Amino acid sequence: MTRSINRREFFALTARAASKSFIVLSTPAILAACDRAAPAREQQAAFQTLQAQEAAEFEAIAARIIPSDETPGAREAGVIYFMDTVLADDREQELTILRQGLADLQQSAQAEYNQSSFSQLTEAQQDALLVNIENSDFFATMRFLTIAGMFSLPEYGGNRDLVGYELIGFENQHAWAPPFGYYDAEYNGGGQ
Amino acid sequence: MAEAVYPTREEVDFVIVGSGAAGGIMARELATAGHSVVLMEQGPHLRAADFKHDEWGYDVNRDLTWNHRRGHPQTFRKTESETAEVRDSVCGYAHNVGGSSVHFSGNFWRFRPIDFMEASVRGSIAGTNFADWPIRYEDLEPYYTRVDWEIGVSGQQGPWDPPRSRDYPCPPMPVKSSGVLLERAAEQLGLTAYPAPVAILSQPHNGRPGCIHCGFCNGYGCEVDAKSSSMAAMIPQALATGNCELRTGCTVGQVISNNAGRVTEVTYWDADGVEQAQRARAVVLCANGAETPRLLFLSANNQHPDGLANSSGMVGKNLMFNGYTSVSGLFDEPLNDWKSVPATRVVHDYYSLDPALGFYGGGGIDSRHPSRGVPMGFARSAPRMFGGPAWGSEFKNNLARQFSHAAAFEGHTTSLPLDSNNVTLDPNVTDRWGRPAVRCTYQDHPDDIATMRFFYELSIELMEAAGASNIDGFYPENGQEGNVHLLGTCRMGDDPASSVIDSSHRTHDVENLFICDGSSLVTSGRGQPTMTIMALAFRAAELIDQAAQRGEI
Repeated sequence: MTRSINRREFFALTARAASKSFIVLSTPAILAACDRAAPAREQQAAFQTLQAQEAAEFEAIAARIIPSDETPGAREAGVIYFMDTVLADDREQELTILRQGLADLQQSAQAEYNQSSFSQLTEAQQDALLVNIENSDFFATMRFLTIAGMFSLPEYGGNRDLVGYELIGFENQHAWAPPFGYYDAEYNGGGQ
Repeated sequence: MAEAVYPTREEVDFVIVGSGAAGGIMARELATAGHSVVLMEQGPHLRAADFKHDEWGYDVNRDLTWNHRRGHPQTFRKTESETAEVRDSVCGYAHNVGGSSVHFSGNFWRFRPIDFMEASVRGSIAGTNFADWPIRYEDLEPYYTRVDWEIGVSGQQGPWDPPRSRDYPCPPMPVKSSGVLLERAAEQLGLTAYPAPVAILSQPHNGRPGCIHCGFCNGYGCEVDAKSSSMAAMIPQALATGNCELRTGCTVGQVISNNAGRVTEVTYWDADGVEQAQRARAVVLCANGAETPRLLFLSANNQHPDGLANSSGMVGKNLMFNGYTSVSGLFDEPLNDWKSVPATRVVHDYYSLDPALGFYGGGGIDSRHPSRGVPMGFARSAPRMFGGPAWGSEFKNNLARQFSHAAAFEGHTTSLPLDSNNVTLDPNVTDRWGRPAVRCTYQDHPDDIATMRFFYELSIELMEAAGASNIDGFYPENGQEGNVHLLGTCRMGDDPASSVIDSSHRTHDVENLFICDGSSLVTSGRGQPTMTIMALAFRAAELIDQAAQRGEI
């Protein structure tokens, strides 16, 4: 289920912006854009690139980068499915960095906490290990892909139900009318 | 009329290489004048319905701009003593019909009278190729006005603007919150912010709809054709003449010249990868400031050992990127600056910096969302801009507050033309066709960096006056390592010893070879070159048509 604007919502918006009659000229193009919005991969879908075990580990790392707290995080956004999708696309270099980095991280987990699986550690233990590797290529790649999976179009596998967009207050709507924000509303209300 | 189809062995009047800001206009003008035209474009013909709000596709995968992962590597080095390395984005441009006019931000500042004669007003600058243009603002003004009306520009004459023969066809875009904040801050500093002119329609014009403020301009193609790309404004008219054939997916390998010193045909790989050649009476290169010099180098032969039309040795030299600066801040109330066009106000009080500062330069400052309004780019860079952790709950919660409350004031500045900033052929790296890659050598002149520092510091003052918190900023204090403004590499001039084309865009060396694109510029302007490239294209097309009518090509 994607929360991208649908036809009904669009027509409601158009009605609200009726004073901007030119918007109607663009209606076919906007509707086409709405129809192109594709849903995220279903939860529990099979992985294409990643092994199930390593996927669980990467997902646990992503969940520390963008945690689930009062609002959905990387887990709910399906970041791991995004990673699975894009890593299939000529990104062997990133995959190598990720697999090597995970192996190193699991070694640290073993050494520090006698636990071979990162995802089985407590969150505090996980954070402690990640702080140590904050400046590594591995962590930079994980952070980049986590953010990308949180905030890219759902058709790449993440940002399920647009939870990433919702988190930051972004609405992927195809048409807006002024006022856009507080200060321009105030400016135009002030008789300018 | 239907799009023309020409056999490759038939000699058409013109082959135009590149369908971008200049090439799209050139094709429309020459085809409208009745000439047979084949327009070569290496990318696909994407249209409004093909474009999406796709950050991953455009900004990471480079679906429009391509890179080494797509078989189009470019290399970079700062100085000629270094070995250049393959980089993701060096001389960036969009590979599609309309070129970078499709995915640019649409800022459309005219150059001013001073831009065309700055060397004689300001004095020459030792160690640089700083020079006057062979034309003046008055020569180009009628064509700026044609760009306003035929391409479509929205704006309002500002206090410092050069004289114009006709008003803008469309009123300025509605001001955004960042524009209001810049305007108020400028007032406090005794400066003037005025509506930013943009190549985006604020209302229907020439059969195209007005902007619907979706927010995806810079880096994206317009989904409703409100952005005034040559793809939206010119190509349909060029094809409708029945005189223009658009060949997409076609990469030109060489411009072939004969013993008489005339070009006769261009060779290219067609959409199926098959080598072809198209004969033509004349060739117009509009391939951009990186690909045009590259093509001239690749077209070297016995008569032109250093590259076609390069007896001056100036092909590829004088590459100018324009400088840039960015200062961001957070505000108490939501701006939602991720909506609508990139910039709605601009400050041009420092178009020319006081020579008493001890360095040459000038520019303008506009107001924007600090990450071009896109969520992924914002999340990646927000901790760097506003402080705080780069991951974890606090990072996440900061993003939630900052995205809609952020603004940036961005500076756009001059670059000096230098021999040592250039495009050449890489001796080691080749592209998917086996052609040597574009090798860029670039180090900003000390004056260019000093100018950036000036605009960076002024932007901080403005951001403080606007009442922002978490103010931070950036300018490339060690020099830029890539840009999308590709200017000066086949400069215009009266003297064949120091320039590549004359003031009518004909190459000094080859009478039926013309060049019009960013490479034609003699100086860099103040960071928004596309409108001038388009005005030059209207003017060049008129002069080339007149030459053809006189039988002089």
